[in-house]
Amino acid sequence: MSEERLPESENDGDETPVLIWLTAAALLAAMGAIFLYAPTEATEGMVQRIMYFHIPSAWVAFFAFFIVFVCSVLFLWKRDREWDIYANASAEVGLMFCTLVLITGPIWAKPVWGTWWVWDARLTSTLVLWLIYAAYLMLRARSEPGSMRARYAAVVGIVGFLDIPIIHFSVLWWRTFHPQPKMITSEGIGTGMETPMVVALMISLGAFTLLYFLLMGQRVRLEKLKDEIDRLKRNRLYSH
Amino acid sequence: MDQYFKTVYAIVWKDFVTELKTRELFSSMFIFATLVILIFIFSINLSVVDAREVGPGILWAAFIFSGTLGLNRSFMLEKENDCLQGLMLTPADRTAIFFGKMLSNFVFLTIMEIFILPLFMVFFNIDLLPHLGPLLLVVFLGTVGFCVLGTLLSSLSAHLKNREVMLPLLLYPLLVPVVIGSVRMTGQILAGKELGDMSQWIGLILCFDIIFTGAAIMTIDHILEE
Repeated sequence: MSEERLPESENDGDETPVLIWLTAAALLAAMGAIFLYAPTEATEGMVQRIMYFHIPSAWVAFFAFFIVFVCSVLFLWKRDREWDIYANASAEVGLMFCTLVLITGPIWAKPVWGTWWVWDARLTSTLVLWLIYAAYLMLRARSEPGSMRARYAAVVGIVGFLDIPIIHFSVLWWRTFHPQPKMITSEGIGTGMETPMVVALMISLGAFTLLYFLLMGQRVRLEKLKDEIDRLKRNRLYSH
Repeated sequence: MDQYFKTVYAIVWKDFVTELKTRELFSSMFIFATLVILIFIFSINLSVVDAREVGPGILWAAFIFSGTLGLNRSFMLEKENDCLQGLMLTPADRTAIFFGKMLSNFVFLTIMEIFILPLFMVFFNIDLLPHLGPLLLVVFLGTVGFCVLGTLLSSLSAHLKNREVMLPLLLYPLLVPVVIGSVRMTGQILAGKELGDMSQWIGLILCFDIIFTGAAIMTIDHILEE
């Protein structure tokens, strides 16, 4: 059966461990930076350290949804199953990080704002975003694999991403309390925070981005293996 | 171009004739919208809260819930006897099919909304007549947004096994800007504000309408494909 194997599946074994070790090292460094290097915030205290998880998760989630959009456009253009796999994997990883944002947010907000949840612009748009991509994955889960599922998912992936700026403005004008971004202010990057905090956040952002690529790679490989199993089953089981 | 409009018109007319024969859709949408308003009225105490504060939200919830019934039915009707297949076999452009279905959805929903407005006026004891012009504009803009995105997604969900569930799951989160904008504007109109004061909301909903009309034109070929 080995002669029927796809050539990529053999290369995968060589590439992934590098990324695994790199991600593991980056995550370890991030943990060190967050808990040992970065100072405790004066007013908010220990709980402020959740920021180093909250902001990178949000970044990865938005990045992942952007990748879903790009892959969806490419799929409709090229009609290559590859792009469909990437869009699917990115949506799953993005939804997971979006869930993390929605979980870490209230944990941070309760001691600082005194409430779990406020209907602030960024909280609301993140929740809506979560709902959009949850529906996207449900659409995928509930339809038969094939060209139809890929096309429909791509349309939803495009429409969903186009809606993000409009949703953002609508909830912004609706109401907002979120702290103004401290990282990038009008005076320049990182002036709102102590340097060690910025460094820790940067390391954490890098580590989370690596984690995204690692998870993406694994998910894509899984999907390709699934395809191969389907193909082998069709050839070996159903033909006789 | 002339031929294009004729095609769109033919599809709208076909839906109208079907509806005139069965009279199923309009009555169910109207009764459902009334029920939605009724359920919301039970859940709030109108002698405590200001009707002008909660009214607009309830009105739009009724529009959107009953509009979803219409959307679900619009493509289901086409699916039932493989009419959609027939529609796609005609030499009509795919976008013409989309605009035809969108326009018929829009007209049905608008007629239903015009019937609901007096009911809303009576139930909530709000005099709509002095604000009728701006109110109708807001209803128009919101309904266009709902129908554009709704028709696109219902053309897609019609092919799924659990279409009745998937359509609102896909549609409602994407519809958030239209809902917030329409409810806000309706509330401000009922509070006696001028349309000029809410130009940013009008702009936002117009943007939504235009962007998703464009997105529908670009993607409908990929949805209506066998």
